[in-house]
Amino acid sequence: MNDKVSGDYIITVDRVDKVYPNGVHALRDFSIQVRRKDVLVVIGPSGSGKSTFLRCLNGLEEIDGGSITVDGIPLDDRKENRLEIRKEVGMVFQSFNLFPHLTVLDNVNLAQILVRGKSRKEATETSMALLRKVGIPEKASAFPGHLSGGQQQRVAIARALAMMPKVMLFDEATSALDPEMIGEVLEVMKTLAAEGMTMVVVTHEMGFAREVSDWMVFMENGRIVEEGTAEKLFTNAEQARTREFLSQIL
Amino acid sequence: MVDIMMFLCVLAGATWLVADGTTKLGYNWQWYRVPQYIFTLEDGRFTAGPLLEGLKVTLEITAASFVLAFTVGLVTALCRLSGSVMARMVSRAYLELIRNTPLLVQLFFIYFVLSPIFDLSRFFSAVLALSLFEGAYASEIFRAGMVSMHRGQWEAAYSLGLGVWDTYRWIILPQAVRRVLPPLTSQAVSLVKDSALVSTIAVYDLTMRGQEIIAETYLAFELWFTIAAMYLTVTVALSFLVSLMEKRMRVAA
Repeated sequence: MNDKVSGDYIITVDRVDKVYPNGVHALRDFSIQVRRKDVLVVIGPSGSGKSTFLRCLNGLEEIDGGSITVDGIPLDDRKENRLEIRKEVGMVFQSFNLFPHLTVLDNVNLAQILVRGKSRKEATETSMALLRKVGIPEKASAFPGHLSGGQQQRVAIARALAMMPKVMLFDEATSALDPEMIGEVLEVMKTLAAEGMTMVVVTHEMGFAREVSDWMVFMENGRIVEEGTAEKLFTNAEQARTREFLSQIL
Repeated sequence: MVDIMMFLCVLAGATWLVADGTTKLGYNWQWYRVPQYIFTLEDGRFTAGPLLEGLKVTLEITAASFVLAFTVGLVTALCRLSGSVMARMVSRAYLELIRNTPLLVQLFFIYFVLSPIFDLSRFFSAVLALSLFEGAYASEIFRAGMVSMHRGQWEAAYSLGLGVWDTYRWIILPQAVRRVLPPLTSQAVSLVKDSALVSTIAVYDLTMRGQEIIAETYLAFELWFTIAAMYLTVTVALSFLVSLMEKRMRVAA
């Protein structure tokens, strides 16, 4: 519907600047576009602005210059637009951020009922289907505190998916997990990518990046140092800094 | 076991101190005259005495003030955390004004200045003064609970498309209230005790009734002990109730 406006691109970030109140210049003249159904993987050293970029995409951070458009909706000062974009953009956090006072099922149900206006019964049907998809339907009535980190993160993914978003953002979704649990979360993410979900992923999992990404961006100091396919960045990077970073991390 | 022994020793010591002190004063204990003021049984018919009637008024005032103070506290806390400069200023002014003046003065101000103007009843003046006073403290407790919530809870709710009010209602407040239940209980206990001040504007609460009886009978020691015990019963029961509630909620969380 909005294809005429945004072309093939679902996300357009144009010359965005972001300066935190403490003076840190997190994004400088930052531009990128994401195609529908693509998986964009963002890598870079800590403090490079990867997370800030992700958080700007659903309005968790306000930008100081430039423009962001998601699915044809400009992310500006208008509150309705921000809410509209948040409905279309799901986010998964490093620290899960499940609601500890609600059961797993209620965590997944909540936004469907409050934001999408579904009945509890409809919401529960969707939620149970999603919990099956992420492999933990048996934990529906458990509280998040009783789940392992990997299980919590899978619930968080189900919770974001429950809004039927057009884009999913993953902010270092596996960084807080014990090594043996990383795999189960990455599996879910791979399934999503294979189903054609548009994803923007900040990660240190280079194996995942290589396997799943359609496009990769290497960032430092709020700028894009280099972008291209995983193949190009891993084997044939143009910038010395990219090669250096990748050799350190691999 | 050792604990219980120690407790009994302390209790015995305290009793001895009181007994010894009163003997030296030459006080003539007349406990047998006290029960009639609490309740009387005639032909198996129970009749509440003045003290029980006073307790009933105390409980009514406390309950009404608690509900109102809870509301005032919550609204004030939300105002202080809101984006509106006006709301923040008004709530801050209210808080500082109430916290930095004596409750007795506030009570007199409402009863002698405001109540003739707005035609407030004595009971309502008492409730209003107490709720405004306790509400100020409750608001700080609520605020502390809300700002102690992890930022990630807000962000998760926002990222799902929830608005500010939905986030407060379903995510922040349910967790914050659980967290502040212990200090909130202390505040409720304070409320029960502070309610004794309403006797100064001639509301017939427990304290007022006691004073009245003492004026007639000169049973000061017996009655003040009895009244203290009655307050103690209420506050201990309250604390017990809340700790039960806390346990139930912890299981849920």
